[in-house]
Amino acid sequence: MSGHVSTVEPFSQGSDLITALAPEFVLIIGLFTLMIVPNMGDATFRIPLTQVRLPWFFGGKRRNLESDPRLPGLLATVFFSIAFLLCGVSFVNGMARTEIVTPGGTPMLKVDEFSRMFELIFFGALALASAASVNRFPATSRADRSPNGLYNNRRQIDFYILLITTGLGMSIVALAQDLFMLFIGLELASFSTYVLVAFIKESREGTEAGMKYFIVGSVASGVGLYGLSLLYLWSGSLQFADLSVAFAENGLEPLPLIALGLLLVGFGFKVSAAPFHFAAPDAYAGAAAPIAGVLATASKAMGVLGLLRILLVVASPEATDGSAVWLIALGVLSVITMTWGNLAALGSTNPKRMLAYSSVAHAGYMLAAITAIGALNWESGYVDSSNDAALAVVTALVFHLAVLVCFKLGAFLVLSLLEAEKGGHTLSSLGGLAKRDPFLAVAMFVFMMSLAGVPPLSGFVSKLLVIMGIVKVALLDVVATDLSFADIHWVWYLALLMVINSAISVFYYLRIGLVMYFHEPEEGRTGPLPAGRSVRFAIVLCVLTTVYFGVGAGQLIALCESAANALVGAW
Amino acid sequence: MAGSEAKELVHTAAVDYAPLIVLLPMLAFPFILFFGKVFNGKDFWKNRLKEGGLIALPVMAGSLCFALWLVSDFIGGAGLADSEGWTWFTSAVWESGTNKSTALTLGFGIYVDHITVMLLFIASFLCLLINLFAVGYMNTDPINDNRNHRFYAEFVLFCSGMLGMVLADSFLWLFIFWELMGLCSYLLIGFYYERPSAAYAAKKAFLTTRVGDVFLMVGLAMLWTLFNPYAGAGQGGLDYAVVFDDANIKEVAKSSTGTLAWALGLMFIGAVGKSAQFPLHVWLPDAMEGPTPVSALIHAATMVNAGLYLVARMFPFFGSDYLHGELTDLAFIIAAIGGTTAVMAASIAFVQHDLKKVLAYSTMSQLAYIFTGLGAALYLANTLDWHHDYKAHGIVIVAFGAALFHLFNHAMAKGMLFMASGAVIHEVHHAHHHLHHHDDHHDDHHEPAPEELLMLANYLQETGQSVFGFFNAIDLDQSGEVDTYEFQRALKESDIADLPPWEMEPLMKALDMDGNGRINVPELEVSLGRIHLASLAGKDDHHDDHHDDHHDEFDAQSMDNMGGLASKMPLTATAMLVGSLSIMGFPLIGGFWSKEGIIANTWRVAFTDPRFIYPAMCVLLGAAMTGFYMSRMWLKTFAGPPKTEVAEHVHPTNTWIKIPLFVLTFFSLGGIVLASMGFTHWAPDVTYEPFFNGKKSFVEGLVYELGHAFANEDTRFFILTYIAIFLAALVGPGLALSLYGGKLNEGEKLMPWFAPVVAVNAAIKGRYHWDNTSFAQSGFSTALSNRLYFDHYYDMAMLKIVAAFSFKAAEADSGVIDGTIKTIERTSQQLSTKLRALTTGSARDYILMAAVGTLALFSMIWGLVA
Repeated sequence: MSGHVSTVEPFSQGSDLITALAPEFVLIIGLFTLMIVPNMGDATFRIPLTQVRLPWFFGGKRRNLESDPRLPGLLATVFFSIAFLLCGVSFVNGMARTEIVTPGGTPMLKVDEFSRMFELIFFGALALASAASVNRFPATSRADRSPNGLYNNRRQIDFYILLITTGLGMSIVALAQDLFMLFIGLELASFSTYVLVAFIKESREGTEAGMKYFIVGSVASGVGLYGLSLLYLWSGSLQFADLSVAFAENGLEPLPLIALGLLLVGFGFKVSAAPFHFAAPDAYAGAAAPIAGVLATASKAMGVLGLLRILLVVASPEATDGSAVWLIALGVLSVITMTWGNLAALGSTNPKRMLAYSSVAHAGYMLAAITAIGALNWESGYVDSSNDAALAVVTALVFHLAVLVCFKLGAFLVLSLLEAEKGGHTLSSLGGLAKRDPFLAVAMFVFMMSLAGVPPLSGFVSKLLVIMGIVKVALLDVVATDLSFADIHWVWYLALLMVINSAISVFYYLRIGLVMYFHEPEEGRTGPLPAGRSVRFAIVLCVLTTVYFGVGAGQLIALCESAANALVGAW
Repeated sequence: MAGSEAKELVHTAAVDYAPLIVLLPMLAFPFILFFGKVFNGKDFWKNRLKEGGLIALPVMAGSLCFALWLVSDFIGGAGLADSEGWTWFTSAVWESGTNKSTALTLGFGIYVDHITVMLLFIASFLCLLINLFAVGYMNTDPINDNRNHRFYAEFVLFCSGMLGMVLADSFLWLFIFWELMGLCSYLLIGFYYERPSAAYAAKKAFLTTRVGDVFLMVGLAMLWTLFNPYAGAGQGGLDYAVVFDDANIKEVAKSSTGTLAWALGLMFIGAVGKSAQFPLHVWLPDAMEGPTPVSALIHAATMVNAGLYLVARMFPFFGSDYLHGELTDLAFIIAAIGGTTAVMAASIAFVQHDLKKVLAYSTMSQLAYIFTGLGAALYLANTLDWHHDYKAHGIVIVAFGAALFHLFNHAMAKGMLFMASGAVIHEVHHAHHHLHHHDDHHDDHHEPAPEELLMLANYLQETGQSVFGFFNAIDLDQSGEVDTYEFQRALKESDIADLPPWEMEPLMKALDMDGNGRINVPELEVSLGRIHLASLAGKDDHHDDHHDDHHDEFDAQSMDNMGGLASKMPLTATAMLVGSLSIMGFPLIGGFWSKEGIIANTWRVAFTDPRFIYPAMCVLLGAAMTGFYMSRMWLKTFAGPPKTEVAEHVHPTNTWIKIPLFVLTFFSLGGIVLASMGFTHWAPDVTYEPFFNGKKSFVEGLVYELGHAFANEDTRFFILTYIAIFLAALVGPGLALSLYGGKLNEGEKLMPWFAPVVAVNAAIKGRYHWDNTSFAQSGFSTALSNRLYFDHYYDMAMLKIVAAFSFKAAEADSGVIDGTIKTIERTSQQLSTKLRALTTGSARDYILMAAVGTLALFSMIWGLVA
């Protein structure tokens, strides 16, 4: 796959840069808008020595619009949506692949189907989360002039600014062509999420969770950074292209292998793979539910993206004849992760922790898929079929990450409504939801079924694609007619384990349904949950997409395939 | 199908729109249900839309319009039609033996022939009329308030099930719609589900028909295996186009005649269940527990006709040259089952006092007539060389047409009778209410369940224990039965009651169904269930209950509380009279034409095959019996002096109810018109469509039919006709006239047309005063009152065989299957606890684990390289 790639230098003449990075610029504009607009007022500036007062807008008494505590949330939602749409539009009539290069010609960022697809995932998740937060984050009415009320209203701005910086960081990760750029984006996004997790600082859980998440996260980042510097030490470049070539030649030297291991730890934390996942359940449980949703979807997609770049592009399996060096390590990691996640989720009585563990299990499934690619045979006779299989697996991965936004984030959004009435931390707070608020119960049930992988929901399609991809890889060497187990590559057992794990997971997903439909509400919990137009709208979107991408998955799969093509063609 | 060789498949616009006949009511179902739920109790919904009744009405009218369009196209010469339909799904089936895959297509299409057209008209027409009736019946009774939307929603679904079944172009879809009807019958019979008897009846109807359905499914599976190899591209193995194709039948007949006969036989068992024939008839009388419109729907328009339709659909097999003479045994079985049921049901109807029960048994008996007729027709088709012999052709057509025509006549008459009986019950009930001001609804004559058992039922409900679990816990010696001592201990331990042994006796008695002094699981389960239901039913106070069986002694359905209503409800009485005469086969009225045909053709077969003498005698005897019990019903209800004070205060019914009665009266009276138009040999055959094709004028047809009926050239049939008329119109009614009814009270005015009936009745009764007490007190009469003990023996068999088996199965389930799963679950939960214990909550530990992970990663990557 070698489509035409145009190059753009930053600060060059013309609008090429702006068209190439339009979504990112929109976010930057959003950032400044958020800083400025809520602070505008009727302030005037008196020209010295005269009585002429010119309106100055900045400061003074805020008008109705600017003082509306919901304004930042709405603005952020709008900007994320515009960014999302721009990413989507760029797919129409073929992607204009563009590289942002240094004056020396070294690529820094690259816009292609793959990066845009991931940006769609990021911006989609963030748009939904910010729409949901409009209602759920404690915004007191503008009539509340108490210090606390004013304080809460001002804090709204900080929250959404952090969301936008998260989005910016993530999009840099998606675009990066260089480990250094990737790392900067990663840290930008990570630091924003650390603060977001601890944002409700009045609550003990929130601060504690944020703190722990930060500590463990910075250790992981530090380890990753160390690996990165070792790589630089070894090859003298952090360009993916250079590293890939270097790896293909001398990949088995100790230095790159140590670096690879250290990077795996860093990204392992991001995707919350066992045993680097420990902080995740705490963080999910402590954070506001929409933020936890972002962590479980967009943030995880970012980690997977990093892993794909490192493992498939840098330490490319093609480089080492036979199978990749990381094959066994990653395989073991995936088995531990999916099993650990599912078993731990079985006993969790806190739905948010349960979802966190289920997210660990999903990480395991995705690691299994990447492992399968590592097992591909790149000897001369097999290149074409291996390419096909790799394409199938990456497509499945991207599809999985995309639909995860629909139902995992959706589930967190439902919990966020429960949180609004101080629930959502215990399974029993979901009791009787079907009677209290049938819409939410149905939505939650759909999300749970999709997580469990029940047809015809999108969760089923994604799981099916991943499993089919793995099986395709495992059977690649098997020549037609007679099948015997000895011929099948061991990654086949990963698929089998996935199936068994999915079966286990049905237990705790269905339990949510059981509690919602058959248990009585807790004492004091009566009537429908708090209204919240935008969060409910977001939930409706999630339900519709969950169902739609299950029934009519074709278009999204085609999109993911084009993304996968861009990656697979590039290594 | 008869004589269909030369007909080409014609596709008209009406066929394109035909799916709407099914889809309209099917879409109305969720619509009514949803809006009923939303607007329940709102004034607009309740009064303007009649709680969905006036949504259902235009929908059914629309269905009828499309159906009539299709029918008129068909009569106008379009003939057979089989639409392309749409494909539901196509999948490949891989056959392990031959290592090749065949395509499997499932799609829905419309198939129209004369059977379809007949049933389609009956179903859509009656559904509309019953809908009208229901608006007048259901919405005027306070007991149904705020839940009629459920009735109308299920009603339209029921109709769409029947219409879909009739229109479907494959046995597969026939089966799907068939089951849809099964579901709806369950829902509607159990409409008053809070009443244990209704819940029980619904369950009974569902399970009994299910027995037949299992056989039907097996039969269809066999048929599929036989015919699927010959299905073309895009065709399903059960499409009519495949199974009715003569070339395919030829191929199948070469090797698998026996299998085919078995397949058809099994399918026939399904029809037996659905049409309530012996021995699967037990559900039909109980189905009266549903509201009266449901009875009319099940008995006239839809459900029971489904079985007949299925058997009629088998005609192409019997009529095929390649199966000539091979299927006579099956035809005989069909006729014999019919004959048996005809006599059995009629005799049970002799002793029923409940107005609707008489009609229920009458339905059973009349359906049996149609089965006998179909059996005879199928026998003739299978044995005569009717493809080439013109005379034989005529015989087959007439035999088959007679059965179909009887189906038509019976549906019209029975629909009317049920609606009329509903009107009577409705009005008697209202009159009762006016008289008694329902001040007596407190006395509960049901034997109250012992308090302790109610507490036990509640205790199980509250603690969420299954009866099995509870039973196992209290069955201390694990003998499978609980004795008094064990039960006493259990009650004590669960803090319900601490009783001395002698006070345990009534408790044990209440639970012990087979009287062996001990309780087993089924007994405990059934009894506690009943007690629980009864307590629920006791909670809400339906003092407006028609069937008032648990509030006061007055039974609005019992004919012993009626009498003399002829002058109070003239239209209803007329309708009932005409309907009864039609069912009896009174000369010139509706059912006469078809019933004569059935009797004649059964005898025609009996003259050649002596086995058929049995069903032939049965139908002849049945004719007299029908005459008796239908007359008895009319006389007890409408003639004679009012038997209770209530009956004196009955008023005419409302307009909604009158319209369908009025319309249907003409359909039954007009039997002679329909007969002259050629409905007695209703077939898509040019030769036998005298009226529609203009081959014969109406008058010619009339003369032909009259001559054929009353002056048959064949002496045997000439005599037979008069014997049948003698039995049906003189012997049966004569006996009834001498026993029941009598003069009305002085001063009551009568409509001129049934004044003579009452006068004759009074005269005969005064002259021959029979004393039938000896019969009424005989053992046979008791047996009949107990429905010949069928229910009793079925229940016993259930308790002894099925319940015992299911007890063992439950043991295996809880021990082996559940045990395994529980073990897995327990182990996983333990593992989960251990794993989660690693998440200590301390960031230090998390980093430690990450470090361990890092080292492990290194060792794995390096281990591989080194």
